[in-house]
Amino acid sequence: MLNFLKELTALDGVSGEENSVRDYIISKIEGHCEYRIDPLGSIIAFKKGKNRSDKKLMVDAHMDEVGLIITSVTSGGFLGFSAVGGIDTAVLMFRRVRIGNVNGVITGKPIHLISAEERKKPPKADSLYIDIGAASKEEALELVRIGDRAVICGEYEEMGSKIKAKAIDDRAGCAILISLLTADSDYDFYATFSVQEEVGLRGAKAATFTVDPDSAIVLEATTAADIAGVEASKRVCLLGEGPAVSFMDRATVYDRDYYNAALNSGIKCQPKAAVAGGNNSGAVHLSRGGVRTLAISVPCRYIHSPSCVADAEDIKNAARLAQYMINGICSGEIE
Amino acid sequence: MDIKEILFSLSERDAIGIVDDASVYAKDYLSEYAEVKSIGNLSVLGFIKGKSDYTVLLDAHIDQIGMIVTDVDNEGFLTVSNSGGIDIRALPARAVTVHGKEKIPAVFCSTPPHLSKGETEYTDISEIKLDTGLGGKAKTIVSVGDYVTFTALPAELSGDLVTGRSFDDRSGVACLLETAKRLSGKELPVSVAFLLSDGEELGMRGATIAAFDINADEAIAVDVSFGDGIGISETECGKLTGGAMIGVSPVLCRDLSDRLINLARHNGIKYQLEAMGGKTGTNADVIAVSRGGVKTCTVSIPLRNMHTEVETLSLQDLNSVCDLLEKYILSGGLLNA
Repeated sequence: MLNFLKELTALDGVSGEENSVRDYIISKIEGHCEYRIDPLGSIIAFKKGKNRSDKKLMVDAHMDEVGLIITSVTSGGFLGFSAVGGIDTAVLMFRRVRIGNVNGVITGKPIHLISAEERKKPPKADSLYIDIGAASKEEALELVRIGDRAVICGEYEEMGSKIKAKAIDDRAGCAILISLLTADSDYDFYATFSVQEEVGLRGAKAATFTVDPDSAIVLEATTAADIAGVEASKRVCLLGEGPAVSFMDRATVYDRDYYNAALNSGIKCQPKAAVAGGNNSGAVHLSRGGVRTLAISVPCRYIHSPSCVADAEDIKNAARLAQYMINGICSGEIE
Repeated sequence: MDIKEILFSLSERDAIGIVDDASVYAKDYLSEYAEVKSIGNLSVLGFIKGKSDYTVLLDAHIDQIGMIVTDVDNEGFLTVSNSGGIDIRALPARAVTVHGKEKIPAVFCSTPPHLSKGETEYTDISEIKLDTGLGGKAKTIVSVGDYVTFTALPAELSGDLVTGRSFDDRSGVACLLETAKRLSGKELPVSVAFLLSDGEELGMRGATIAAFDINADEAIAVDVSFGDGIGISETECGKLTGGAMIGVSPVLCRDLSDRLINLARHNGIKYQLEAMGGKTGTNADVIAVSRGGVKTCTVSIPLRNMHTEVETLSLQDLNSVCDLLEKYILSGGLLNA
């Protein structure tokens, strides 16, 4: 599963251009389940288990990642861009980016040429441009098109028991879902690898309508603020303490029975101790006549940056918890 | 090995404080073409004897910007200070390497969105902690005084532009190594001292002491300067692909500037002028007033995104610099001027 994660985080899949992630996932689940691609590009898979269940269960992870979209080209050949998803401007300055096979850097004024006052604040996002080495607009447009996505580069590295990579949000969920689909299952369930989460939970909205589940488990990554200088009450969740399960965030009020069942599972996990953020649950739980929904999230420091940091054990425990909940919900033991 | 390969090899290595693999690499390379010796931790001096003892010093600094650890806490977070000018606005969520008992990756903390009050504002690098991910174990690997460096590997952009870390001033070092290679085996009218100097980023320390020892008759400092780009006016920068930037300044030797300009013009070498009102911000400032004074000029490479890990330059500018330095030495500098 961690190998899936390593390979998945190396792929570029800014919202709306999830192709390479989708191709990778299909190459791994092929032969282990039935699947199809929906009109928006999400993968909808059906895993045949040993037993049928009265409950139709869907497990979701999103394929897309935050990044940039090219919106303009200057006469000097520099590329203007907009953020795709929520990105802190501080994370953009002087970064390497990749637009397909074209290398670029986000360029700006060096510190020597800015005032002491300017040195304290990140620049406005609209003052930043991508330099691909083109000397003119014409040269630039031979290499890239308006509307192309740029991914912010970040290398996969191990930091002790932790993993640093870009796009752990939500390739961690994808890796877990691939491992669930490629193993034997006690029960039938549906899996969705959805597109466009970072631009408003759009892929999951359509895919959930199609699947029409009774219950859903959303596999995610969520902000961990267990970093230097942040007091205990504001840390949300802690790396190494297991996946975070949510009772409420800015998009969803979660099913309290599923939440309690997860916390009482005996598998190392923790409550997400903040009402903040949101994920595909927001779209999933309001689908059709309503869906009972649980989110299992891998705690992740520096989320939405090219240097996300997560704990390998938390990812394994998230997979164990997801398996436990699938069996519990499908068998009727968790009501 | 062409100039890009030399530059990339130098960029992939480090020279800061006691971390010296870039110096080791450069010394080894230079030893093929010159008599070499080390000065202190990082500085390397190469010498090629010419027909005359009249000595031209070519300088480029080998040290790089980075950070140094000032505290290691029990949760595995480090506090660092800058070693050279660092743009702290660009540090959050940036991956770096900590040179502890072993080399380990680490990430600068960024403010989580639920705690962000709109705009992040930092006033001091010590406010941005560095996460090793090692928890309490960090103390067994990292100590106060360990160096921290950026990690980006060099890469090619389109055209002949390349990007990477420490191009300030490994690009200058690459030019000196290439020039030494071109000059070796040729009959030189003057002797040449190649100084790959330490400590420029901390106040030109390496060149200060080495220039005293070398006691050269004249000197050229090869460093980077501001290249054109977004938000920079034409009046404060050189142009990438515009050629070698020849310095003209009250603190530089006008005869030397003119000699370089004439050589460039007569040999079809691309160049541009960099006029400055006083000090140049390069090692030329200290070399020029070494001992009883040394005739000194600057030759600079236009560079975008200075002091970041995406420093960007044009390879043809490096070749222009090498062409100019080669011609200058072969013509005898100011020996017979």
